[in-house]
Amino acid sequence: MLNVGIAGLGKMGKLHFLNALKSNNVNVVAVADLSKSNRKSAEKYHIKSYKNYQTMIDAEKLDAIIISLPNFLKKESLFYSSDNNLDIFIDKPFARSLKEAEEMIKKIESKNIKVMVGVNYRYFDSFQKVKKIIEEGNIGEVVLATSELIMDGPFSHPLVPSPVADWWFSKEKSGGGALLDLGYHLIDLFCWMFGDLEVEFSSLNYRYHLPIEDAATVILKSKKTGIRCTVNTGWFSKMIFPDFNFRINMHGTVGYISTDEFAPKNLYFHAVKEGTKNFVRKVIGRKLHYLSYTYYYSSFVNILNLFFESINKDLEIPVKLDEQLSVMKSIEMAYKKNEGINID
Amino acid sequence: MKVLILTNIIISRIKNFSNKDINIAVENSLDSLSDKNLSNYESVIIKPNLCYYWDYSTGQTTDPRVVSAVVDWIRKRSTKYVEIFVAEADASAMKTKYVFKMLGFEKLAKEKQINLVNLSEGEIINKKVMVDGEKFTLPVNKILLDKNLMINVPTLKIHRTIGFTCALKNMFGAIAKPRKYDYHNKLAKIIVAINKIIKSDIILVDGIIAVGKNPKKMGVIITGDDALSTDLFIAKIIGYRPSRSSYLNLGVKEKIGESKIFNINSNPLDIEYIKKEFPKANYLIEERKMSFFLSMLKLYTKIVGDVIPPVLDVE
Repeated sequence: MLNVGIAGLGKMGKLHFLNALKSNNVNVVAVADLSKSNRKSAEKYHIKSYKNYQTMIDAEKLDAIIISLPNFLKKESLFYSSDNNLDIFIDKPFARSLKEAEEMIKKIESKNIKVMVGVNYRYFDSFQKVKKIIEEGNIGEVVLATSELIMDGPFSHPLVPSPVADWWFSKEKSGGGALLDLGYHLIDLFCWMFGDLEVEFSSLNYRYHLPIEDAATVILKSKKTGIRCTVNTGWFSKMIFPDFNFRINMHGTVGYISTDEFAPKNLYFHAVKEGTKNFVRKVIGRKLHYLSYTYYYSSFVNILNLFFESINKDLEIPVKLDEQLSVMKSIEMAYKKNEGINID
Repeated sequence: MKVLILTNIIISRIKNFSNKDINIAVENSLDSLSDKNLSNYESVIIKPNLCYYWDYSTGQTTDPRVVSAVVDWIRKRSTKYVEIFVAEADASAMKTKYVFKMLGFEKLAKEKQINLVNLSEGEIINKKVMVDGEKFTLPVNKILLDKNLMINVPTLKIHRTIGFTCALKNMFGAIAKPRKYDYHNKLAKIIVAINKIIKSDIILVDGIIAVGKNPKKMGVIITGDDALSTDLFIAKIIGYRPSRSSYLNLGVKEKIGESKIFNINSNPLDIEYIKKEFPKANYLIEERKMSFFLSMLKLYTKIVGDVIPPVLDVE
């Protein structure tokens, strides 16, 4: 049984916590969060809670930790966890800058621990299907790829309203805006499929007058194959769950394919369909597909389970920290090449 | 652009959406409505609806261009210097210091030399008020209680759970307590209570983009001098039965304003335009859809043992 602690119970941390509780061979030992109400939400499940992750790590016998802290705390928490020889699952973006990313990678180089970055978009069913089609050569060779991930980011409005954390509004504490937060996923998908990419063009938008960008368009090009990838991302769009605006379109020498073809057309119908399937699984004693009814959140379950499985079965980690350096390089390059205008 | 006058409600339509046209519409509406001598006031408070970090294009928050036009009107009609405040309180999910910046009000304040006020900060006074036989104590910023002209600048929208929201509901946002979500189980009474404490002298509804089943560019400015009657009038013409709104009913019962229903037939063109163009939804279904889905979700997760994502967790 893997003893796991969770550092940070914000929106993502809570989700990881709930998913971890349902995972096989995982024992959620404790959680850590500054907020009393967040800690209370874990105590409902009879899980110990701490005000800070250091105390949790010192007091508990943990094998692994899920780091879901604000961006400005990720480096120090990774350092502390790795010094305590914990395997680590860390939310993206794992660092605020390329320099910080390099320091973090260097830190864990000498450690015999597994570190995985939570790039859950790789595990969307629709993306997995597109990837398979590309790999099988069904649309020939990809020449152009476009992508969109446009939502409300940290400004999503949950049913029970809670304030958007202050660190999101600070460039220093967040490291960046929509590009670092959401664009990260799209760049990761392209890097994963096409290898190292170079930024050809970048334009950032500041509609909301903040020091961090609320939209970005980045064009990347593969050095090896010449494939050109466009990333369109933003935080500017008011969205009510389950609405979800993500797609990858691949244009090849024989045809094209889009994740839209494999995504549910009606998310409410999808919820009913998947909920019914889970009900049947429950009745016949099969393993449930947690959160499959939401479509969006199922990828978080998938990636977390892969992390736990890699540790429990001593398999290679599917998304290693050093491999993520190329994503951070592209983002850093995009910030430097920005041709947008800050309207302030 | 033309102006149509009812007893105390004016509808102005904006032909295009330029700053100039918005200015003209706002100015004409206020001129037609108000015989108020602004010289009687030391200061004017403008209360827009800045409920969250969604900009005016969503129809959820007041367009800063409308507030800008109101400021221009005040300056034109004042014979002496009048201090102007744009005021909003922190909300359960929103902090005023960010919303002013994000939605362009910080920029507007610099350009127009006006003050931005966070109603959750400064001198807060607990005001007691009776509504429907129940006593309420609401924290209110002193600035709202001093002798000022209060211009209430709400948006025109149907909220998916609250239903019709306009002038009366906008004042709910002026309560100093940030976590107003705590009031939601007594929402109707609290809305009436705050409107008993703070009276809006002028209501100027930003209907440039109205929200029904979806946002729609309506290009309408509606002004009134009574929050209750303005709300009743608008609810009726957009096809939302006022009797379906618990706070409108309570407002009428508690006589927080004028509750005469206007003779809408006598004002055909602009009223017909709003009636026809407002993006109506089946409100009965819309308002119950979310609670139905949530009950089904709770039942499902209870039986099956699946997870509810934090975004949908209401506990």
